[in-house]
Amino acid sequence: MNPKKAIDCERSTIQKILIFRLPRYFRTLGIVLFAISFLCMFLKSSFPEHASVLKEGANRLMLVAMLFMSMAKDKEEDELTILLRGQSYAAAFILGVVYALVMPYIEYGVSNLVNTEAETFKELGDFQILLFMLMIQLMYYSVLKKIR
Amino acid sequence: MRNSIKVERAILSLTQDDLAKKIGVSRQTINSIEANRYVPSTVLSLRLSEVFGKPVNDFFKLTEED
Repeated sequence: MNPKKAIDCERSTIQKILIFRLPRYFRTLGIVLFAISFLCMFLKSSFPEHASVLKEGANRLMLVAMLFMSMAKDKEEDELTILLRGQSYAAAFILGVVYALVMPYIEYGVSNLVNTEAETFKELGDFQILLFMLMIQLMYYSVLKKIR
Repeated sequence: MRNSIKVERAILSLTQDDLAKKIGVSRQTINSIEANRYVPSTVLSLRLSEVFGKPVNDFFKLTEED
């Protein structure tokens, strides 16, 4: 393959990935899955023997649900919604990085203030960071759409 | 950038919704363009030009800040 063709191929692949959206019904599916994962969190206390499995399952289901909501097409897709979605992803990424850097220190400081015994420094888990980023993206996007 | 889309729309007696449908965007996008909150792409500007039957320069004007 000549270099020009390779670059064109790469460009069209990247473009396809960038404009990829799930069908609109994935938004509803995401809301349903989110509700189920929320329910699983409550069921955890009713089934203490399966608590860890339920927690892990609910966490993953919640991320998948929010990803579906995030990637689903809007009722009316146009260039403005594409721009706003891009802005919301950028905000979520930047705030996610800041959150991952700052939050462990805040948690460490607060837990040492509240508890008399010294707490160990803990890094954030991937679930917490991803959940935060998806939450910011969804909220930011809905606010941007409201004020457009 | 400022524009006179609202005026052009009034000349043709089009609502924001009518114009939105004609050029394939949402009503909110037309509202954002009219309020100068959003500068449309070249493709959208040319679609507007087609609807209004005027060159883009007639309803989009650069301001001092541009």
